[in-house]
Amino acid sequence: MENDYFSVEAILAENQKIQCTFKHEIPNMGHLGGGTERERTKLQLPMWLAYVIIYSDWAEFNIPQPFGLKVRNALKAEATSVRLSNLVGAGGMWYGFGKMIMDMLSDEQASEMSEMMTKAFKDAQHFAAIGPGGAGGSGSDGLDATEREIFTLAQASAKRMKKWHEESDKAKQ
Amino acid sequence: MALPVHLRDSVTPQELEMIACQQLIEIVPLIAMEKTAFISGAYGPLRPPSKAKLPLWMAVNLKLKKKCHIIAPDWLNVEHLQDRLAQEVAKPDAFSDLPFRFSEISKVLLDVASDDLENPDQLRSLLKDLREARQAKSREGLKHLDHSELGLTGLSSMEINEIRPFFVQSMNVLTKIARSSET
Repeated sequence: MENDYFSVEAILAENQKIQCTFKHEIPNMGHLGGGTERERTKLQLPMWLAYVIIYSDWAEFNIPQPFGLKVRNALKAEATSVRLSNLVGAGGMWYGFGKMIMDMLSDEQASEMSEMMTKAFKDAQHFAAIGPGGAGGSGSDGLDATEREIFTLAQASAKRMKKWHEESDKAKQ
Repeated sequence: MALPVHLRDSVTPQELEMIACQQLIEIVPLIAMEKTAFISGAYGPLRPPSKAKLPLWMAVNLKLKKKCHIIAPDWLNVEHLQDRLAQEVAKPDAFSDLPFRFSEISKVLLDVASDDLENPDQLRSLLKDLREARQAKSREGLKHLDHSELGLTGLSSMEINEIRPFFVQSMNVLTKIARSSET
């Protein structure tokens, strides 16, 4: 995840777009899209671009919809019912995306976001933990990529254990 | 040339079984053998019918060739396991005290030497119940996972191995998410 240059998940997560409002005029920046940016133009920029622009203080941004108030309240109420994968389009990298936004925010907003994600993650946990005992796929289409990875790990290790327990029962005698 | 994921992060059950087989176990040999040197140490001499202590792998080997009888370790009998099962049920947040590699050793012995154990079927079912009770508890305990620590005392080596990839990865993710609140 995160700032790992080579991580495929990080690249995918960075591809999400956020809404930015430009504060200054940047001549010639709209090269590919046509037109120059004037003050207070609103644009959707992908994260990897927005990161630099915001750091250099040329624009401001709002917390994007996947982390907005509505989602936050839904998560507080019942974390397992929220389909995180739907919120960020195909592939679903809600956690990766959130982490990047968090890095850019000021301290108190960031800690709020971090709490929200931690809580969502922990509650989604028991999905993965049930994996070894319960049926697969009951909620696995509602999980985002990170959760799915962990879920698969748990299932795979449980499967191996089961196989080991059952093998060699006949082999030796 | 990378290892598949499941070999990268944890040990396979078969490897754990092999490691467990290095423990010493008592047998009654049916053949005589001089004191022989092996890589791990010298074992023997074997003078039937007196008992001897050998590593489990060697005992299994002899048993398969019908050259010894294995004596069950003192925790592998019905009352002991029933006692442990009662303990498991009575204490919902602690694990009962079982030998670290009980799962592997009991499986090997049940496979190879079920005629040397009393009541092998009952032992099997008790072991299964124990495993399920402990699994349920470890699942409970996993819910309290946070990014810096996870305390589940008393788990056996097989159980640790089973949840290791899961909780290591979860803790990684939690660390990444939680980072900002510390800076």
